[in-house]
Amino acid sequence: MAVYVYSIVAGTHPLDLSGLAGVGADPAALRTVDSGRLTAVVSDAPPGLRAKRRDLAAHQAVQERLMAGGTVLPLRFGLTAPDDDAVRAALTENAEQYAARLSELDGCAEFHLKATEDEESLLRRILAESPEARRLNDEIRGGRAAPDAPVVLGELVSQEVRARQEALAAGITQALRPHARDERSSPPSGDVFLSISFLVARDAEDAFLTAEKGLAAELGDSVDLRLHGPLPAYSFV
Amino acid sequence: MTVVPQSAGGGVASRGAGPGGAGSGNLYDILELILDRGLVIDVFVRVSLVGIEILKIDARIVVASVDTYLRFAEACNRLDLESGRKAPAQLTDIVGEVTEGGAKGKSKGALSGAVEAVTDAVRGGRDEEKEPAEKRERPARRPARHREE
Repeated sequence: MAVYVYSIVAGTHPLDLSGLAGVGADPAALRTVDSGRLTAVVSDAPPGLRAKRRDLAAHQAVQERLMAGGTVLPLRFGLTAPDDDAVRAALTENAEQYAARLSELDGCAEFHLKATEDEESLLRRILAESPEARRLNDEIRGGRAAPDAPVVLGELVSQEVRARQEALAAGITQALRPHARDERSSPPSGDVFLSISFLVARDAEDAFLTAEKGLAAELGDSVDLRLHGPLPAYSFV
Repeated sequence: MTVVPQSAGGGVASRGAGPGGAGSGNLYDILELILDRGLVIDVFVRVSLVGIEILKIDARIVVASVDTYLRFAEACNRLDLESGRKAPAQLTDIVGEVTEGGAKGKSKGALSGAVEAVTDAVRGGRDEEKEPAEKRERPARRPARHREE
């Protein structure tokens, strides 16, 4: 029977899985596959698994529990192996690599930050600071603009938005970088102009959190920083 | 005296501070981590997951398009005229501050000079009040219990 694989941990991990359920509508029990040096946390794979909220939450809950007892290599959601033997073979074959990664991540956690900015106040500032944008906007409102004025204004504003948010994203990243061992960002999407994960050592966590809090205060309430963590190091495995 | 239970805090509290592991509000922001990052073992099979493709497409929406330009233009046209007119006078002052701030070098906070220009402009439009703590989403505090090992 196919098995769903959640995480890989060291063979010495205490593996407290009590009270946790696996993925699926009728979740199978969590169990482990052991290769001696490494252990994988698995469950029987439910048929027809999809990325439902319940399943993502179950996957994440396993990682969080394992984090409490040691270092964890979280697998990407949705990976299945044909059977326990295939899991054991993968553990054995890649033992050096996984053990090295576990050792590098020891005492570290991921913090994920998403930043959004209130669009209206941003546009207001752009209009206030760009005479050209203000002129175009006034002409359009006054009904005396050239037909292409909205596109010209929109392109100008769009460039301004991008430049300002890139500068802001760079500044936020620079301010937090000194407290992190590693970082990984995703492209902006929708109104999220910065989406970035930091790998933070436990002894730097306070400094990291203090810096983030300071940033939030400095940026005011038109910029929203949403910080999540400590998380399993999904972005740094 | 009246004691308001934590659990009665409504939307904000339930989003960030739920005691029961990954709450839905937390999960949303880290979906891409769970779905797109994490360790991949080559010989394992990834189950077909309807919905992931949609997330990826969303992440690739092209910003530079005529539709986007028109949307920005309309948003600018809609801005309230009166409060919009107040801004230039304030911003003249702010630009002055920024120039001075830049010359002063490291007397400001952790932000780089480039960002100071932006953030000072952000702050300039209103009082220097700190963002209320309860408004900040701080799921960061929640899993602290994991640290007791």
